[in-house]
Amino acid sequence: MGVLTRAVRNVSRRKMRALLVIIALGFSMAIMVSVPAGIVANQKAAQSMTANFNSTLTTMQEQINKTATLIECQTSRGMFSGGPPGFSPGGSEQQQTYVEESVANEIRSISGVKDVVEFLTVSSKETTSETINGPGGRTFTISRPVYTITGVTLISSFIDGYSILPTNITAGRNLRQGDSGVVLLNPNLTAYLGVGVGDKVEIYGESFLVVGVCDEAGQGRFEARSAYMNITDAQTAASLTGNLSRLDVYAENVSYVDSIAEVISLAYTSLQVTTYKDRLSQLDNTQTMYNETLASAQATVSQTETVATQEIMIAVVATSLIVLLFMLYTVRERTKEIGTLKAIGFSNWNVMSQFVFEGMLLSLVAGVVGIAIGTVGAPLLSGILLPQISPFGSRGNSQFQPGGANAGNFGNFGILGVSTVTVTPGLQTMLIAIGAAVLLGALGSLYPAWRAARTRPAEAMRYE
Amino acid sequence: MSEAVLRTEKLFRTYEMGKRKVPALNDLNLQVNRGEFVAIMGPSGSGKTTLLNVLGCLDKPTSGKVVLDDVDVANLPERELCKIRRDKIGFVFQTFNLLPYLNAAENVELPMENTKKTRSERRKKARELLRMVGLEGREEHRPQRLSAGEQQRVAIARSLANDPAIILADEPTGNLDTQNKYEIVRLLASLNIKQKTTIVMVTHDSHVASHTERMLFLKDGKIVNEKQGLHLTKKKLSCPHCGNKIQPNEEKCSICGKRLLNPKEVLI
Repeated sequence: MGVLTRAVRNVSRRKMRALLVIIALGFSMAIMVSVPAGIVANQKAAQSMTANFNSTLTTMQEQINKTATLIECQTSRGMFSGGPPGFSPGGSEQQQTYVEESVANEIRSISGVKDVVEFLTVSSKETTSETINGPGGRTFTISRPVYTITGVTLISSFIDGYSILPTNITAGRNLRQGDSGVVLLNPNLTAYLGVGVGDKVEIYGESFLVVGVCDEAGQGRFEARSAYMNITDAQTAASLTGNLSRLDVYAENVSYVDSIAEVISLAYTSLQVTTYKDRLSQLDNTQTMYNETLASAQATVSQTETVATQEIMIAVVATSLIVLLFMLYTVRERTKEIGTLKAIGFSNWNVMSQFVFEGMLLSLVAGVVGIAIGTVGAPLLSGILLPQISPFGSRGNSQFQPGGANAGNFGNFGILGVSTVTVTPGLQTMLIAIGAAVLLGALGSLYPAWRAARTRPAEAMRYE
Repeated sequence: MSEAVLRTEKLFRTYEMGKRKVPALNDLNLQVNRGEFVAIMGPSGSGKTTLLNVLGCLDKPTSGKVVLDDVDVANLPERELCKIRRDKIGFVFQTFNLLPYLNAAENVELPMENTKKTRSERRKKARELLRMVGLEGREEHRPQRLSAGEQQRVAIARSLANDPAIILADEPTGNLDTQNKYEIVRLLASLNIKQKTTIVMVTHDSHVASHTERMLFLKDGKIVNEKQGLHLTKKKLSCPHCGNKIQPNEEKCSICGKRLLNPKEVLI
């Protein structure tokens, strides 16, 4: 019959009381377990965000370097203006304008121009409305065209030399020179239409054969539903024969870019001209935005650590207090027993160790319960107790989704990506929590145990 | 080793109630010899329990000597006192004071916990003691499953765990019915005879006290009277009430009709 066995029997003697104390202690311990896990999750989210941003910026920089001689000439609406292509926030309608094919021929004659690639991008008049859930419980209603078609000049040298078509073909084949009456669809449109390679689809009343499906980089669930085809087919289908919405002008070398861009801008005011300098400027803006987001994330991490420290301190004090009060009550209740133990020869140390062991045992059990609660409830608890990193600056849920890069599209560096960081207490945290529980149990029961040990046996024997 | 196992000299114990001083023991001199069975009697507030606490090293005297087994324990530090309580003294309380979460054997083992005895030795000794007090087969029973008399037997077995020099019993029959009261007195008397255990028993029950060897009467913290008891096995077999000669198996005196404590019943 050792001190440990007696401690076990004493703790289990009053089951309901012990259970209540264990539950109370368990919640304190759960905070101790889940809060550090929340900090780690936030730190990982910030790291993941930094890594994604860096990757995006590197890709953008590489893309700019590759397309240094490209001068983009776009009619209105096709240009990015704060939302994804084909994205029409709030349902407001912009007037699409076009230029005639003769403009392309005129541009070809400008000194230093190597190639001009013609595009026609048209969105359907019919739209669909959808409601999406944003961070912080906010909801958005988006309206987007049923489909957006892009007609491309299908010349082999253009297809091979410039990035004029999606390159990641997931089914079927890509478009090639001489194609007519065929389309390449992105997954959003195949999903919407419920078609695949080899099927016939009707676009603008014309029938097309689906020859391939492409997976566009950064393609999200709410991006456009796109179809790519021969430019002539697109012009015919959309009844826009001889019209273009975009011209990709390639200079002989970088030194011609500025002069060509200046001539085009002056001669064709309806075209919005962007060069590598504009793209670099956009890169700078993006970098600034990312830096601000990262600074905000870092501030949240720091704030999280401060809040977590305070909460852990409160949990530590609460745990110690619960043990202290419980053990004080126990000592008072068992005064006569203490007197008996001393009368039969127990030393102060024997009596003290008995009560300290009981406090430690109680806390150990509570620690295990706390870890169980903390492990299951870590996402919820850390969500309630800690500020969460959010690219929108508001409190999000416990799963943060740092940014995913959209490499091929400078206009859409979406920061809602796909990677997630889940709040899960690690083994090390659990072991530390168990150690802390036992230590706090010992500390909390030290004073009551000392009081028990100091009890004068003659007085204890009189206690009723 | 002297004949006296316990001796007090000019023993004072004064309680301070605010500014008022209340003397509980007042120049008390006492000697208990080895193998004696002594009863301490007196009215409420006479100092009986205080004396027992001081003798049992549960309380310290204000002044005076308490010599236990030739050692003056009055001014020993607490660390030494707990060893003396463990090795030299066995306590029996009116309310038994058994630990409710331990069974009978574990309760008896408890005082041996901090000795050099191994676990198996402690277990064996506890079982022997329980058998000696008539509780064979009840070793695994917790106190709440034992009768009051059985609980007091466990307490007596516990008091004997470390073969103490003296047993101090504070009203050991105070919470018992008549039947159990006599059984416990017989048990104590038997231990006194068979084990030569020295016993000092505080009681207010004159009939219980009469079955000891010596009765000390306490009043206002002093021994005011002393009488010989009726510990029949050590006396001539005569009725303590009328002096008539009695036979060993008689329960009542044939002349005065009063109840007798039969020595054969006492011996287990």
